Amino acid sequence: MDSVAQRLSAVGAGAALELRGVTRLFGALAALTDVTITVRPGERRAVLGSNGAGKTTLFNCITGDFAPSSGTIRFFGEDVTHFPPYERIRRGLRRTYQISALFPGLTVQDNVYLACRGVSRGRFSFLRPGQNDALMHAADNLVQAVHLSAVKDQRVAELAHGQQRQLEIALALAGAPRFVLFDEPAAGLSPTERAELIEILTSLPAHIGYIIIEHDMDVALRVVESVTMMHNGRVFKEGLPQEIESDPEVQELYLGGGHE
Amino acid sequence: MSRFVERHPAWALIAIIAIAVALWLIFAVWPPGLEEAIGRKRVFLNAVFNGITLGGLYFLVASGFTLIFGLMRNVNLAHGSLYLFGGYVGYAISTATGSWLLSFIVAFILTALVGVLLQVIVFHRMEGQDLRQTMVTIGLSIVFADLMLWACGGDFYQVQTPNWLIGPVELPLITAVKSSGEPVYLRYPMVRLVIFAASVVIGVSMWLALNRTRIGMIIRAGVDDRDILAATGVRIQLVFVAVFAFGAGLAGIAGVVGGTFQSLSPGEDIRFLLASLVVVIVGGMGSIPGAALGALIIGLAEQLGSVYIPTYAIVVTFLIMVLVLAIRPQGLLARR
Amino acid sequence: MSLAHDARVAVRPAAVTQRPARTWPEINNPAAWIVAVILVVMPLIASGFFLIEIFATTLILGIMALSLMFLAGYGGMVSLMQLTIAGFSAYMVAVFGISGNANISLGWPWWLAVPMALALATAFGTLGGALAVRTEGIYTIMITLAIGAAFYYFTNQNWAIFNGHTGINTVATPHFWGVNWRADIPFYYVVLAVAALCYFAVEYISRAPFGLALQGVRDNPRRMAALGFNVNAHRVAAYAFASFIAALAGVLQVWNYRQISPGSVSVGACIDVLIIAVVGGITRPIGPFIGALIFVLLRTFALDFLVRLGLDGNRFRLLIGLGFLAIVFWSSDGVIGLWQRWRQSQRSRDDRQGGGRGHG
Repeated sequence: MDSVAQRLSAVGAGAALELRGVTRLFGALAALTDVTITVRPGERRAVLGSNGAGKTTLFNCITGDFAPSSGTIRFFGEDVTHFPPYERIRRGLRRTYQISALFPGLTVQDNVYLACRGVSRGRFSFLRPGQNDALMHAADNLVQAVHLSAVKDQRVAELAHGQQRQLEIALALAGAPRFVLFDEPAAGLSPTERAELIEILTSLPAHIGYIIIEHDMDVALRVVESVTMMHNGRVFKEGLPQEIESDPEVQELYLGGGHE
Repeated sequence: MSRFVERHPAWALIAIIAIAVALWLIFAVWPPGLEEAIGRKRVFLNAVFNGITLGGLYFLVASGFTLIFGLMRNVNLAHGSLYLFGGYVGYAISTATGSWLLSFIVAFILTALVGVLLQVIVFHRMEGQDLRQTMVTIGLSIVFADLMLWACGGDFYQVQTPNWLIGPVELPLITAVKSSGEPVYLRYPMVRLVIFAASVVIGVSMWLALNRTRIGMIIRAGVDDRDILAATGVRIQLVFVAVFAFGAGLAGIAGVVGGTFQSLSPGEDIRFLLASLVVVIVGGMGSIPGAALGALIIGLAEQLGSVYIPTYAIVVTFLIMVLVLAIRPQGLLARR
Repeated sequence: MSLAHDARVAVRPAAVTQRPARTWPEINNPAAWIVAVILVVMPLIASGFFLIEIFATTLILGIMALSLMFLAGYGGMVSLMQLTIAGFSAYMVAVFGISGNANISLGWPWWLAVPMALALATAFGTLGGALAVRTEGIYTIMITLAIGAAFYYFTNQNWAIFNGHTGINTVATPHFWGVNWRADIPFYYVVLAVAALCYFAVEYISRAPFGLALQGVRDNPRRMAALGFNVNAHRVAAYAFASFIAALAGVLQVWNYRQISPGSVSVGACIDVLIIAVVGGITRPIGPFIGALIFVLLRTFALDFLVRLGLDGNRFRLLIGLGFLAIVFWSSDGVIGLWQRWRQSQRSRDDRQGGGRGHG
């Protein structure tokens, strides 16, 4: 256990994501307490924990949806603690949302186009993109890759749930992501769609690291190389998937009897 | 309070100094140099008292507005119409019966009834649609304004002050010292003081009701997080109707007060709607103490402004709003 | 599913299909062409009264409401200060240009006064917008209404610049190339040109990156931030653009009436702009012009109409208010929405009669 933690923190200088003593208070309630996590570039990690363990709050702090009450967050060595979300995104951080956060009034194509545009120049351009616009091509490719070409001119509000989840992931992969936060990407997916999701995650380019929040242990433990277990807003355990899965304390707390 | 001082020592210091200066200005006998520089103390004291009592009136209007917004997220832009309606009702009752107090009761009941009808017939159907509700209140304010213009015409009305409240009262505040050494005390209209005291009583009892009773707890919980309401098992609709009725009723009472202080005429609805807007933007949405503080600030700014910088009085009010939005966009006393 | 490639797809060329959504939507619509032709030949049909009092006024109000539609429909920000910005611009034209109040007006030629007015009004609107975006959602209405009202009371109180409640009168209008541009027919064409320019600009920008991003901000500001957009900067930029449009309308308005006074920037007038946009339909740029036409027709003819019905002619506001309420109750998209719903029900009835032909 300790050796893993040491191994993980030893590379801290070159870490993709480094949280030091991050605490987040909501009034008197501490959603996160002194969370310290280090993730290497290209590392894939799962964050486990019951509801209210602080997982989504952790994501919100990392992306800058709200600032931590104390502590620092570094992204590829740069202190981004007080950066607004868009500055972090422009540096290669991405995230997906537990409940699809899309633009229902726009078409699929436009959703993806916005994602591509957000991390490139010309966000304020008053000129319509022409036929040879590079971002249009990028958006087209992303749409094709998530098998949404058939519905690309439909408004997102009209899509089925599974399609929306696919789009959700496509938005997070636009541009040149270096690190992605997946918030329960498998929520509400059918078994087939889950299998597809696992395939997507395992076949991401090796330099893209991610943290995934996932309740489905089958999904979570198959796509990661390390696990952080959270409880009541604190980091409870860190280690390899097998170690965590077989840890008696963790089993008692989270896996319960359901996994034997 | 002590937490505020801990967190913002600089602001706390500024506030304490400002309060000390204000108290000195009110209680001390002004040295001659000061009187030459900014005018007579009587003028200043009158402006301060006018500002505070006007603040009381603004509080009556704005507290209903802020309560309705806080709980139902309904920006009731017809709130000014309820104010004017209450004023006209109060005028009608007081001229018909000669009873000033009765006019308050009837105005409260009738405007509250209008509030109940609005909530039950109109807003209940479009719960959660902020924008649509606001649009409806805009439409209603136009319709109400024209109906009242139709019924009451464009004349000015003033609610008659009852005999027992007419005339000034002498306050233990020295405005000047005569050459004989005899102090001159401030004389101020009794009715304004009584009404101000009444609005303080209403404000304090509202605060107590919100903080000490079960229904108050429910309402406050709803202001903070509306989803909680569903979990408490109370009949939310009933709470909504009650709050809307009470908020509307307060606007009605304020109408009678405004009719006594000042006068009633078309256009007053918009004036008081705007006063409520600015008061709650400054004080903080959904907060009763915020409405009180905002009302006091805006009332004082308006009155002192109209005495000392008459051309720019409105700008002072507006600048206060801009300043609050720039520094603390959620309002001075809002929770978030 | 090969999303795996996606992170590195940015450079891979792909076969791009033609994108009809990105061309001009109205270009194939015969009705739009007919309306355009009618508008252009209007001076041949309509008398001076109709040309100016009805059509030019409609277009000017339509441009103001268009600026609101841009903010509300694409940006989700319902601003009640668009008329105030237009009024500010009108005042600036009067202050910097030539008017009957020589002690106030600086006497600049129109080609200097107008750009000055446009720049100042755009700055004014942008600052107001920067204030309004500091809070979310429904607060926008309140803050912009408060700004509008403050300006109204200020113009009433201030005599040095705004000449108090009498306002500024006999504002000069441009004469050049031997044309009096305020004469009915030239003025109509000026207004029509500006309206068309604003309409097509809004239409065009709605599909440009800026407009798309604005619609993204409307739908989900948090996600937009998580895609790398500075949400508030986009909102403020939207205010700047909308303010410029409103400022253009203000210039036309002061030329139209040749005077400007606090009455033109009253709170009621601010709300009228909202009513126009909502009644016309707030999701498309054509809506505000339709709303403006209805409003102007009602305002001009309601009196006669009401009297003919045996009602009190002064109840015009009541009529407007009730009509507005009806629209808000029954259609989320103004009369355009009603019209489309009617068309749809017609079409589905045709379908049933024609044995289930697929509809386009």
